[in-house]
Amino acid sequence: MTSSLKTAATEVIVHPLKLPGSPSAELSPEMKLVREALFKHVGKPIPRKEDGRLITGKGRFSDDFSLPGQTYAAIVRSPYPHARILGIDKTEALASPGVLLVLTGEDVLADGLADIPHNPVPSTNFDMKLRAKDGSKAFTGPHYLLPADKARHVGEAVAIVVAETAAEAADGAEKVFVDWRELPYVTDTAKAAEPGAPTIWDEVPDNVFIDTTFGDREGTDAAFAQADHVVKAEFHIHRVTAVTMEPRASLGHYDPETKRYTLYAGSGGAVRQKNELSKVLGIEPKDIRVLSFDVGGNFGARNRVYVEFGLVLWASRKLGRPVKYTATRSEAFLTDYQGRDLVTKVELALRKDGKFLAMRADNLSNVGGRAVSLSPLSKGSGLITGSYDIPYATLRARAVFSNTMCTQAYRSSGRPEVTYAIERMVELAADQLGFDKLELRRMNLIPPSAMPYTNAVGSVYDSGEYEKNMDRALEISEWASFDARKAEAAKRGKLLGRGFANYVESSIGTPKERAEIEIKDDGNIEVVIGTQPSGQGHETSFAQVVADMIQVPVEKVWIVLGDTDIVSVGGGSHSGRSMRHAGTVMAMASADLLGEGRKRAAELLGSAADQIDFEGGVFKLRNTNRTIDIFELGRRTRTTHGALRVVKDNEMHTPVYPNGAAVCEVEVDRDTGHVQIVRYATIDDVGRCINPLIVHGQTHGGIAQGVGQAMWELCAIDPTSGQPLSGSLMDYGMPRSDNMPSFKCEIAEVISPTNPLGIKAGGEGGTTPALATVVNAVVDALLEFGVKDIQMPVTPANVWRAMNNGRKVS
Amino acid sequence: MYATTYHKPRTLAEAVALYESSDEPTYLSGGHTLIPTLKNRLAAPQHLIDLRAIPELSGIAVTSDTVVIGAATKHAAVAASKEVKAAIPALAGLAGSIGDVQVRHMGTIGGSTANNDPAADYPSAVLSLNAILHTDRREIPADEYFQGLYTTALEPGEILVRLEFRIPDIAGYAKFRNPASRYAMAAAFVSKHRDGHVRVAITGAGNEGVFRWTEAEERLTENLTAKALDGLAIDPSRMMGDMHAPADYRAHLVTVMARRAVQNLGGTHIV
Ligand SMILES: Cc1cc2nc3c(=O)[nH]c(=O)nc-3n(C[C@H](O)[C@H](O)[C@H](O)COP(=O)(O)OP(=O)(O)OC[C@H]3O[C@@H](n4cnc5c(N)ncnc54)[C@H](O)[C@@H]3O)c2cc1C
Repeated sequence: MTSSLKTAATEVIVHPLKLPGSPSAELSPEMKLVREALFKHVGKPIPRKEDGRLITGKGRFSDDFSLPGQTYAAIVRSPYPHARILGIDKTEALASPGVLLVLTGEDVLADGLADIPHNPVPSTNFDMKLRAKDGSKAFTGPHYLLPADKARHVGEAVAIVVAETAAEAADGAEKVFVDWRELPYVTDTAKAAEPGAPTIWDEVPDNVFIDTTFGDREGTDAAFAQADHVVKAEFHIHRVTAVTMEPRASLGHYDPETKRYTLYAGSGGAVRQKNELSKVLGIEPKDIRVLSFDVGGNFGARNRVYVEFGLVLWASRKLGRPVKYTATRSEAFLTDYQGRDLVTKVELALRKDGKFLAMRADNLSNVGGRAVSLSPLSKGSGLITGSYDIPYATLRARAVFSNTMCTQAYRSSGRPEVTYAIERMVELAADQLGFDKLELRRMNLIPPSAMPYTNAVGSVYDSGEYEKNMDRALEISEWASFDARKAEAAKRGKLLGRGFANYVESSIGTPKERAEIEIKDDGNIEVVIGTQPSGQGHETSFAQVVADMIQVPVEKVWIVLGDTDIVSVGGGSHSGRSMRHAGTVMAMASADLLGEGRKRAAELLGSAADQIDFEGGVFKLRNTNRTIDIFELGRRTRTTHGALRVVKDNEMHTPVYPNGAAVCEVEVDRDTGHVQIVRYATIDDVGRCINPLIVHGQTHGGIAQGVGQAMWELCAIDPTSGQPLSGSLMDYGMPRSDNMPSFKCEIAEVISPTNPLGIKAGGEGGTTPALATVVNAVVDALLEFGVKDIQMPVTPANVWRAMNNGRKVS
Repeated sequence: MYATTYHKPRTLAEAVALYESSDEPTYLSGGHTLIPTLKNRLAAPQHLIDLRAIPELSGIAVTSDTVVIGAATKHAAVAASKEVKAAIPALAGLAGSIGDVQVRHMGTIGGSTANNDPAADYPSAVLSLNAILHTDRREIPADEYFQGLYTTALEPGEILVRLEFRIPDIAGYAKFRNPASRYAMAAAFVSKHRDGHVRVAITGAGNEGVFRWTEAEERLTENLTAKALDGLAIDPSRMMGDMHAPADYRAHLVTVMARRAVQNLGGTHIV
């Protein structure tokens, strides 16, 4: 592939994999040791160290923390999608029994609190550069702890009430009277961007605050002009929410003596919370400590700061007592950061023989009342061409405000959306032009020989064997014997359908990570790291990496995370970054630690460092039998040299591109439209797999999450009132153990050249192709009804409607 | 939840007296409808009168003609009862299909029947099996008992004590669940009574709650096969419509469920 970098980004950064003679530019010399490591533990399915603690109730979730003298907060929320706050009367609330404090948006301004610095525009070197229409920096809508002007979505916090008990706080909240003036509202993604839509922010009268075009427009136009066929489609990848098991919670404490704030709040990374909240409060980052231990589900929803986190800290300072807030499930449904919500219009140009020539996409992301994160739009933008070699592409990427809760990166941010678009397009093209669906894919797949491959919008795919993935997925799913199964299902009155999708995704993430490793006197190794697990098993897989490097049993390695007084730097966990970033910096730190150990051992054994070997956790003077164990060395040299401890910082910008394929088989009940998934198989190239047990677990959960969106999940809003309709589990359908099939998953390990351990990512690949795979299968099942496309979620009612509409058409 | 006072009377008389002497009282049974309502602050009773310790409300008794179930009997107990399974398997099957394990071990038949949720399961069995509802003061025939969404013939303070089901010749229950809540989105309880009459009760679908589908009853009384229902449709204007199932789809599901109940007489068909 010779196509040059065609990004519209203003500053073009040369990709390390594209530098001449530099196949792995980020590989430092000291990492040779790491490369040559024995990989004793890495790659083994070691059971999770954290599970014993978690299943015996010893987890430390946010709401488990309490402090002496603690008070409770309740939040007053907007009942309207869009309404001006004319005034707020606190009198009755303040007179309510037990109420101690009521604060509003006016108080936020009076106290000079800053807005939350979300920095929604992704800005690492290889993120797509999103800007306003005129090319300027986009206005993203300030996010104050409480608004003073108006509420921009149902559920927006407009006041906090603090009382002696949770019930008294709730009573008090009912007595805060807000004088509202309702305003016209818009919640629908496409409508929000139409001319004449109600304005959410005066600064952006048309609501469209990002409008950037990527790719080679002339090249694309020329390719379209020469094409034999053009296929067009429009899709809405609808809004969903994370439904974490643990609702978000926070406990804030201000100590007037030390003038320091402490926050207990589970999140996707305590360091980010610390830094951003310090800006909100106008204090130095050192004056706030954030603790985030066990986290009951994140999926992206907890990566960004929630207003309640700042509110409990601020209220605690005003009150001089700790303040606790725990969201109810209803509040979680209304105001957890939500996911997806992209409208995409795509066009694909093909040559007569099926070769893809060019692609156009117009992607519109609904960010809600203000922009908290543009990661979904940005991530997707770089991957619109999917796993296929499409020489030219143009993408218009827009983001729009609306009167809905804010969206955020949600498991595999942005990538299921664009994968859906390209994989549905391929099916539509095959159907309309009479190609075999799989052959059309094969013909256009990027071959391994083209790696590293620069796609038409400038993303550089690091490595991957896409066709091999495809072959293997078809094989393990028994694609070839489908007809027999279909005939058998037909005998039972069921319509069997099969769906296939390829995927490639990107994992970028915050580039910086720090690891601290210390050899403890008690024979353990302590590793301090700034990622934040919420079920991914870092305590196990990270320990495996360090155990391998220092050649000690994995049981001896303990991972410390979640307290910003200990973990000073750390990018948190998102975008599949943790294993790659933490793994790399831990390996580098281990190498440094061994270097330091060798030096100390040489001193003790009266020799030079280059005479010291290291094996099995033991330093040995070459050609003698004089040895010293690493823990003994730590103990013996502590007084003279200090603790045997290293701190290592690392920065990696180069993204990796996990990839794979998924196959799904569904049975549709022709009488009711009920869809049952009967088979599901995947191949996921995660790069080096540290712990297959954990990676499989991630894949399973990821599949359920993607399938959930395709089949049931939907943040529905009543268009006639702007009110959310799925405010509880009564109306928000979820994947469950009884509606999921048993999965057949295999891991493909194509080692990534971008980082020393060769890791890609394993947390999101289950989700990325699932939406497309399920819908492809359902459409296939409904073939005889003339159904060509169907809007997700494929609920029984939607399927029944599609069958009937299809019946009428045909 | 607002503050409330909990009472646990041991007799019917005590319960009624408490109810009558209290401000804003409510009876409590399994609490699996009432407690979530309280937690969401959608109701604010000042007194909760727990009925579960009253002996008359518990126990299952099966004779040759009837199955009598105390109002405080949990769904799980009905589902597991050998006697109920032998006498009316569709009733035991229905009970075993309610909610999930936790719900079935807390929720009660009396609570469900008193609440008359339009998507609840039991009301369809009560109506189809032509049950008699025994209260602390009278007997109410099923046909007079259900009076629309969440509305019954029970007077304020009246306690549902026992439900007396006629054992039919045969009965079947078919349900199509709401994909989110798992309550019935449409369900049909079909029973052929010993006098030869067929009663068809539909739950989950009607905009006035559980109802008898008399057109289907007529056809099935003549010929108890699914084929007898061919061509029979129900007017969508009688149906509920929501984000999960618009009225025309529910009307369609009612016909499918009625057919499936007939095809599964002597048991259940639950999707
Ligand atoms: C997650 C979940 C899923 C569920 N799924 C289903 C389902 O699939 N199908 C289904 O049918 N139901 C379902 N339910 C409801 C469940 O069956 C309830 O338990 C039932 O409807 C109410 O019974 P209860 O004993 O809990 O009554 P309670 O909640 O205690 O009371 C309900 C109402 O009835 C009144 N009441 C109770 N007992 C009496 C009495 N003896 N006399 C007079 N009034 C009385 C109370 O005052 C109250 O107004 C579900 C509930 C939950 C929480």
